[in-house]
Amino acid sequence: MNRRKFLSNTVPVVTLPALLNGFSFKAFGASPDNGLLSLLNGATATDHVLVIIQMYGGNDGLNMVIPIDMYANYYNARANVAIPQSKILRLDGTDRTGLHPSMTGLQNMFNEGKVSVVQSVGYPNPDFSHFRATDIWMSADSTTDRFRRVKTGWMGRYLTEEFPGYPDAYPNAEMPDPLAVQISDFPTLTVQGNLFSMGLAITDPMNVYNFVNPFNDYPLNSTPANKELRYLRVVADKTKIYSDKIRAAYLNASTMASYPTNNYLAEQLKIVARLIKGGLKTRVYTVSMGGFDTHKKQVNASDTTTGNHAQLLKMLSTAIVGFQNDLQQMQIEDRVMSMTVSEFGRRIKSNASLGTDHGSSAPLLLMGKHVSKGVLGVSPDIPADINVVNNITFQYDFRSVYASVLERWFCVKQPELDRIMLRNYQSLPIIKGGPCGLPDDIDVVNNQSKELTLKLWPNPYTTSATLQFTTKGGHTSIQQFDTEGRLVKTLTDKEYAAGKYNIDIYNDQLPAGVYFLRLQNNSLQQVLSVVKGRE
Amino acid sequence: MDRRGFLTRTRKKTPAAPNTNFAARSVTSGAAPYTGAWTNNEVIHLLKRTMFGAAPADVAYFLTRTTSEAVDELLNSTTVSPPVRDYGLIDIEGVLYDDLGVAQGQTWINDPNTASDPEAIGSINGLRMQSLMKWWAGQIINQNRSITEKMVLFWHHHFSVQKENVGDFRFLYMHHNLLRVNALGNVKQLVRDVCIDPAMLFHLNGFLNSKRAPDENFARELQELMTVGKTGTQSYTENDVIEAARVLTGWRINVTPVPGAYLEASEHDMGTKTFSSFYNNTVIAGSANGTQEVDALVDMIFNADETAHFICRKLYRWFVYYEIDETIEANVIAPMAAAFKAANFNIKPALSLLLKSEHFFDVQNQACFIKSPFDFIVGAIRELNIPFPPVSDYQNGYPKFAAVYNDAARMQQVLFEPPDVSGWPSYYQDPMFYELWVHSNSLPKRAAYTDNLVNSGIIDVRAIVNSTSNPSLPDVLMNDVTALLLRYPLSATSKTYTKNRFLTNNGPDSVWTNLWNSGNNTVVNTALKDLFLFLMNLPEYHLC
Repeated sequence: MNRRKFLSNTVPVVTLPALLNGFSFKAFGASPDNGLLSLLNGATATDHVLVIIQMYGGNDGLNMVIPIDMYANYYNARANVAIPQSKILRLDGTDRTGLHPSMTGLQNMFNEGKVSVVQSVGYPNPDFSHFRATDIWMSADSTTDRFRRVKTGWMGRYLTEEFPGYPDAYPNAEMPDPLAVQISDFPTLTVQGNLFSMGLAITDPMNVYNFVNPFNDYPLNSTPANKELRYLRVVADKTKIYSDKIRAAYLNASTMASYPTNNYLAEQLKIVARLIKGGLKTRVYTVSMGGFDTHKKQVNASDTTTGNHAQLLKMLSTAIVGFQNDLQQMQIEDRVMSMTVSEFGRRIKSNASLGTDHGSSAPLLLMGKHVSKGVLGVSPDIPADINVVNNITFQYDFRSVYASVLERWFCVKQPELDRIMLRNYQSLPIIKGGPCGLPDDIDVVNNQSKELTLKLWPNPYTTSATLQFTTKGGHTSIQQFDTEGRLVKTLTDKEYAAGKYNIDIYNDQLPAGVYFLRLQNNSLQQVLSVVKGRE
Repeated sequence: MDRRGFLTRTRKKTPAAPNTNFAARSVTSGAAPYTGAWTNNEVIHLLKRTMFGAAPADVAYFLTRTTSEAVDELLNSTTVSPPVRDYGLIDIEGVLYDDLGVAQGQTWINDPNTASDPEAIGSINGLRMQSLMKWWAGQIINQNRSITEKMVLFWHHHFSVQKENVGDFRFLYMHHNLLRVNALGNVKQLVRDVCIDPAMLFHLNGFLNSKRAPDENFARELQELMTVGKTGTQSYTENDVIEAARVLTGWRINVTPVPGAYLEASEHDMGTKTFSSFYNNTVIAGSANGTQEVDALVDMIFNADETAHFICRKLYRWFVYYEIDETIEANVIAPMAAAFKAANFNIKPALSLLLKSEHFFDVQNQACFIKSPFDFIVGAIRELNIPFPPVSDYQNGYPKFAAVYNDAARMQQVLFEPPDVSGWPSYYQDPMFYELWVHSNSLPKRAAYTDNLVNSGIIDVRAIVNSTSNPSLPDVLMNDVTALLLRYPLSATSKTYTKNRFLTNNGPDSVWTNLWNSGNNTVVNTALKDLFLFLMNLPEYHLC
């Protein structure tokens, strides 16, 4: 019998108090589970691995996943960088969306069923600073008040839940290897725990570190110098122990597929594949590439399918294909999924320098044998009368993607899931036939999303209007965003019985302009653009 | 850990969560002047914290002064010449361009960069920025016997302007020079100047702040990060942020003819601004008259009692240690803040009080500071006599300064690129603070750095040992070398272990004495190199 199901009805759902600002996505039907599992055993038994591919600089999602069904408005908004419609790579099963022409490798992978695209991933009140936005994505906390933000990363919190007592109690028989490995110059916030980083940052798996650390004859009293010395000794010890494990694993496997040359993302992924195949029990790897801050010369004027962004996407696509082939030939494809993240997308409207400025939401890619093939969500709504400040309103909160990865790939249960994610988020069908037994059909979810009604009349409106929506029951929220993605109003956010409802809007005090209404009902959602006219 | 408590506890009152093996620290010494011994130990402690490394010549120099004289002398500021063009012709896709605005060796800080070919102007701006980065690293390496360079870096941490946000690097130099000239001056004046400094207007969107669309970015950080802080029991309100933003509306930037900021009256909110009881319900009337409103705002902020405390706490963490409990708050921070206020916000009296205090020299506050990358790198350069050209010798100097800049960058301290608007997390990020400098990737880089200094002969180990008191006696040699390299004292057992391993080969002391006297320099020098490699590779070496 499935233990998860056995337990799922025995303990009431635990919901976190609203500790932080942001969305209060509360309940979602899919998996009301409990904390008993974590009492029954320590770390969840899983051999699953997540590889996070960080694209620093803010990737122009609109030119990576191109809205064919919005092509006229897309072209109008960014004629000087737009990809010609005839060059867009088609994807099996959809005529609404295609890929940048330099991503033939990923196109093939998609058609083989190994890529999932999540449309318009973002969050309310987006930040446009590289630094802050990166921190938001890594911590999964967009709290504005600096003193109420968490200081840990979302993966750091996951690993803290799974491996309590790190670092003192590790390595041990259960977890003999680094909890996370970052191919990076420095440990990032993603894997930061409360006191220590839960990961190991390395740049060369073959490095041998011979730190001398022979003395432990200092008194364990409370002087600050002793506290700091202890810390330094722990870092020296763990770095030495774990770098030996990394080297051994690396030497224990060989690269099997061919990777593109002159591609430093491929070099990083090549290391990751060898470490997994070589036997590390490490669950999380991070790799990265930079250069996505394409304010200028994103494309070549003579041919917009070429230029800096095209090269970056080709690098990304060919590296991922090489990695996936390697995993397949190593026969570990079942164990690994990868995910791209970038601190923000770019502005809908291009600038005069053949580039694009900092924006908000963008598509996110999930890769692997077990991801749900398809495109989750619809093409972003691009207004015909485009303004320079227009940004893409998010369809999916990036934390819903994280939560779904934890829940559906690592089988994290409640209340751990809410503790890690700081609150409850939408559960998305991004893993198919996964180990955690959750619904997984993107088409079903997309179709059900379309069945929802979200209408406003009159539209445009001035003083008063009526909003009509349907819900399939359960938690339902409707939020109103301005064109820059700022949350300006929450129209409703509560439990509903299935049915059709009206909300009357009267004198909402908002300035005239374009707005987006986002309806969310469990894993379904819909976005509607509305216009408030001048009185 | 209780997350609610973790999120909401005030930093001022609660020390960081103690490690399992460590009880909370308890230091009761206060602001009274230090009257104890004045030996190598105390001088090195003072110099390591106020400069980058304690060079032996500086230690000898200050040993002949009293504690008070030494601190007074360190608090003298120094002046420097501006950065110069160090680059030649610029190759852009095979075409060579010259910077027609300034000649090599001349400063570019007043040149608008309009004379050269438009194709090259972007590259020239970038090369000027690079010369500024090298020049600053050069100033740190070539510092005088003064606290100035540590204070310049402190103010950079404090105001945290990132080069990413400043397009025209003349403005970045202007900003840097503002910090440098006021490094030991009047903080209130500095804050007031920073409010309308072009680089800061770019950095925190002040130049977009208008009466129609107030931008609260700077108004918030001004209070939260630069002056009042959010650590006190009483604090400013959200409405105070909005009102301060209104005060600061309309400041715009002139690129030509004279670069600078001005008040654009049509963008300025002329209404009356009213503040909360935290600011004694201060009212600032609208004025299109230059800095009148800014002056009133800065007056109001500095009248708030918390401002002096907040700034003194930040200085404490920069110079002493990161934990501030109620005792230290009462015994050290409060007297510093009082001295700061009494001097109408001149910084020197507060620094003087701190650096001369028995608290500063308390043995509990020694050897507990994890070296920042610049402490680590420049400390080794200065303490181990690695020769560098003066800053004025740009042809030989700038490339070497660039190497130091890059070494520090690899260890995550990048001048002009602090990671956040709140500066380097090592000085504010509870609970790890300084520990954030050292991790699995930076520790190997630090180790590789010192390994290379020794292995490639950049450090003349033999010359250093020759200058010690009696290198033929292994115990004396061990004492002198560990005193030079380590602030955390090795125990007698550890010293014996080290001596046996590297000097006497587990034999009697005479093994080393005979070897030293034999003149077999190959063997002696190899042993000394191995000894230095070992000591500089110890976790202890990272403490100062």
